[in-house]
Amino acid sequence: MRATVLRTQTTAAARRPGRLILTGLAILVASFVVFGTVLVQQITERTVRDNLSGTPAVTDLVIGSVDVQPPTVTDVRQVRAVPGVAEAVARVATGVSIGEGYLNLQSDPGTGPLTTVRVIEGSYPDQPGEIAITPRTAERLGLSVGTTTSGTGGELTTPAPLTVTGVVETSADAGYDAYAPDSAVIAWARLTTVERVDVRVAPGASTDAVRQRVTAAVAGQPIRSGAEVREAEAQAAAEQVGRLFILVGMFVSIAVVAAALVVTSTFRIVFAQRMRQLALLRAVGASRATLVGALTAEGALTGLVAGVVGVASALTLGYALPAILRATGHDVSSPGLPLAAAVAVVIGAVVITVLAVLAPALSAARVSPLEALRAASVTAGRRGIGVSRLVFGLLLAGGAVLAAVGTISQLPKPEQSDYDPSMPLLLLVGSGALAFFALVALGPLLVRPVLAVVGWPLRQLGPLGRMSVGGIGGTPRRAAAVSVVVALGVTLISGVVIGGASLQILTDREMALSAPSDFEVTSNGGTLPPAVVSRAEAADGALARVVPYRMVDDARLLRGADKLGDGESGYPTSDLDLAALPSTGDLDVAQGTLTDRGPGRIVLNSWVARDAGLRAGDTVTLAVATGTVDVRVAAVLPGDGPLHAGILADPGDLDRLGVPAAYTGLLADAAGAGEDGRTAGVRALRQAIGGSDGVGLAVLADERDRNDALVRTLVWVAVGLVSLTVLIAVVGVGSTTALSVVERVRESGLLRAIGLSRTGLRIMLTVESGLYGVIGAAIGLVLGIPYAWLAVETLGIEAPMTAPLLPLAGLFVVLVGLTALAGVLPARRASRVSPVVALGADN
Amino acid sequence: MTTHAPPETSHAAVAAVDLVKVYGSGDTAVRALDGVSVGFGRAEFTAIMGSSGSGKSTLMHCLAGLDTATSGRVLLGGTQLTGQSDRTLTRVRRERIGFVFQSFNLLPQLTAAQNITLPLDLAGRQPDAELLAHLVRVLGLGDRLNHRPSELSGGQQQRVALARALVARPEVVFADEPTGNLDSRSGAEVLTILRDSVRDLGQTVVMVTHDPIAAAYADRVVLLADGRLAGEIDKPNQVSVTDALRDLAARR
Repeated sequence: MRATVLRTQTTAAARRPGRLILTGLAILVASFVVFGTVLVQQITERTVRDNLSGTPAVTDLVIGSVDVQPPTVTDVRQVRAVPGVAEAVARVATGVSIGEGYLNLQSDPGTGPLTTVRVIEGSYPDQPGEIAITPRTAERLGLSVGTTTSGTGGELTTPAPLTVTGVVETSADAGYDAYAPDSAVIAWARLTTVERVDVRVAPGASTDAVRQRVTAAVAGQPIRSGAEVREAEAQAAAEQVGRLFILVGMFVSIAVVAAALVVTSTFRIVFAQRMRQLALLRAVGASRATLVGALTAEGALTGLVAGVVGVASALTLGYALPAILRATGHDVSSPGLPLAAAVAVVIGAVVITVLAVLAPALSAARVSPLEALRAASVTAGRRGIGVSRLVFGLLLAGGAVLAAVGTISQLPKPEQSDYDPSMPLLLLVGSGALAFFALVALGPLLVRPVLAVVGWPLRQLGPLGRMSVGGIGGTPRRAAAVSVVVALGVTLISGVVIGGASLQILTDREMALSAPSDFEVTSNGGTLPPAVVSRAEAADGALARVVPYRMVDDARLLRGADKLGDGESGYPTSDLDLAALPSTGDLDVAQGTLTDRGPGRIVLNSWVARDAGLRAGDTVTLAVATGTVDVRVAAVLPGDGPLHAGILADPGDLDRLGVPAAYTGLLADAAGAGEDGRTAGVRALRQAIGGSDGVGLAVLADERDRNDALVRTLVWVAVGLVSLTVLIAVVGVGSTTALSVVERVRESGLLRAIGLSRTGLRIMLTVESGLYGVIGAAIGLVLGIPYAWLAVETLGIEAPMTAPLLPLAGLFVVLVGLTALAGVLPARRASRVSPVVALGADN
Repeated sequence: MTTHAPPETSHAAVAAVDLVKVYGSGDTAVRALDGVSVGFGRAEFTAIMGSSGSGKSTLMHCLAGLDTATSGRVLLGGTQLTGQSDRTLTRVRRERIGFVFQSFNLLPQLTAAQNITLPLDLAGRQPDAELLAHLVRVLGLGDRLNHRPSELSGGQQQRVALARALVARPEVVFADEPTGNLDSRSGAEVLTILRDSVRDLGQTVVMVTHDPIAAAYADRVVLLADGRLAGEIDKPNQVSVTDALRDLAARR
């Protein structure tokens, strides 16, 4: 009996391979994604290792490590004297302050196998006080071969001359890199220790013997082989990749959960179609257990096929992609063949499918044998949910609310400085997970109320809309199963979109404060010579905007004669003209408005406002050593002020306070775009500064670019990962619609018979499919937006709550469009079937 | 008793002229209808009878615009249905034809009331309130209108299907073995309602059946064998129908 039952089920599955694929499609996609992630991790790790530029490969021994006392200059000399040592290079880096800015002076032999640089212009330095620089450094700092400047660094405190003798190319060029041989660096910067010593053993000499002799020469210094050090560097790089992939793994597991949910719902439909056949088997004597066994076996078969196909396609792509990338000039390594992982993914696919199929199999096996004798299928899907499921769902929902309340109670207070976000974050993630499973349990109850709201406009559109809405409302369990998966995807994406928008506002604000313009010229405590400002203002070909400002450090706030606040020193106060800076638009306020600025008004940063106990609208006396003036607080910023100013005051008020008219610094923007414009701006400002003492130039735009790129990359990576879940959700909608079309072929036939046109039927089914998306997206947004807000608050980064309406609306439209699209093909197929055939269909 | 009267195509509510329907092609071709010419009078209750494979269902499907004939013509109240586009046929079915099926074919997700008005909804028309009330009363569905099909008995479901077919005042109601899935009492109720609709509302009804008891409710029986017209019985009763069927079987 058992074998016979199994055979009837598997033959049915084999006879309709399309249906088998449809049921397993979500698992197929999930297997593809999981194994694809494994391969991508391998590709990334190998690429990182293969392209690692650290210790040169010819290094035999490395003396010294960061954990112990560094080797001394004497040690270096002694190592060089050891017989069998062909070359010993001390590696050391030291920061150097020169008039033009900051240099990172690193030691490198410049020639020989141990070098990491290549001379492209001039010659490599060989005397103390000589340096070679990278091309970007040359541009940025306005240095060229032959230039002599002076600076301090290391143990050297009185400025000594530095001459540029050459330009070198390196693997990474930060724009402030200088190189010189170790002896020159040590001598110029008066160094007594180095970071480590790289040793190359003479050809023919035994590495072990040399190692022993070196150990004796530098007692107490750890010695590692070059291979060991390289391996450690590779490990460190791979570890970073690994950490990134832990995050990726979290998203992938969400996608797997989504796939399991989709498969459960598709199997439910497939089994429902076979109710009469199953009832017949029961009627002729098959036991419930036999049916469950056969149905589960079918699930396992589906999982196996889907898993194998998914893994195979991921493998194909994993090998094809690096090859294609290499052909187009990218340095990408191929993945290995992780056989164990492949087997694990296939087994995982089978296990998850079997687990997913259990619930529908159990409920399908409960079919009464009498069903076989019933004339026609009038059994609509069950509409409600059982009491136990209801209780379970309510418990889950209650837990989610409790965890959310717990999170809110632990949110950081404004004054709190030692805030640890890990506990509330954990609670929040727990709450989200509980809420999602509550949604799975209570979904069928939510479909009709949600449908009543979102379906209203459709119902007004006429009978077709009414029938689509009715078709979904009549089978809430099916609708819930699909919509929940869509909701999961929308929740995650809306969370990422909102989080990204908050982060963007935060970084925009941060940048508007710390990098309000491309360049900053500061006098480091003194004042700018007036000629610097006038020369900068004259250079309008290279500089678009020059905004000079004054900054005083000792301003105090008084009420009557009492000093406000606990600060020992005064608040930094600036008369920076916000209106002249384009990034002022990115500044948001905590209280008041920025447009209220003007004479007699000040703007405070949040810390000063808290320290002095002031709010927008309060009046106070602003005082410096030379005078006082009464002012009103126009606005309070949510964080720091531009240029880290505590108080922004009107220039006229500073004059009345008796602050000297000479500017202390200026901000400027490049007139041209891109790297060229920036370089032109730097040159113009450098000329404006001329030889003025103590005047420094900072390129704020570089920092801003790095930040922007980082935020953008983070958001895109997150969106990409979350899209996996959406992909599976859309696959779920597609297969559900396709299967429900098969299930309802008789219904389609009836509607055609009583006068629904082919187009009408197609529209109706497509709209139904789109409605799954509407319901899911609506639930997803309702859940996703508050959770995202809560998550941003929980991080304690003082980011504002935002609802980026346009992207969220776009997300909604795209999701609904995708789900509707998933229904187009099945709907077409349904409308092609002749009504006579459809009415005669046996189910 | 058996006469071969020429088809009254001009006065008929619906008529077939030299209708041929071939399934498949070549050696496996089956001529389901082999030149059938027959008319069905207005406000008349006609039963189409014949053994399995005689072509009675195919004839009905072609007459109702559900299926297209290979050759010949179908006329619905003077409109030719053969050769019309799917769009036209769909409109004809929606506005001029009503259906009752053996397996009821109600939409499980709609209530009885929604099922009844479904064809009018599709056509964007309002139901005739008086007629609807009349049908609900006659069919005894008053307290069942908000029930779904799964909550109704077979007889009740078929009465809902009857109401659905009648409420749009179609030119012809086609009934395909309407009593096939019902017990004899429910079956008798359904047949009485069909006959009353002809008598009281002037409805034209064409019913396919193989049950002599059901056929006896009709005004006329048309007999089909091997895709051809094989006789007619006016004012049939159970005995005359049974005799005719036995004759047909003996002739083969």
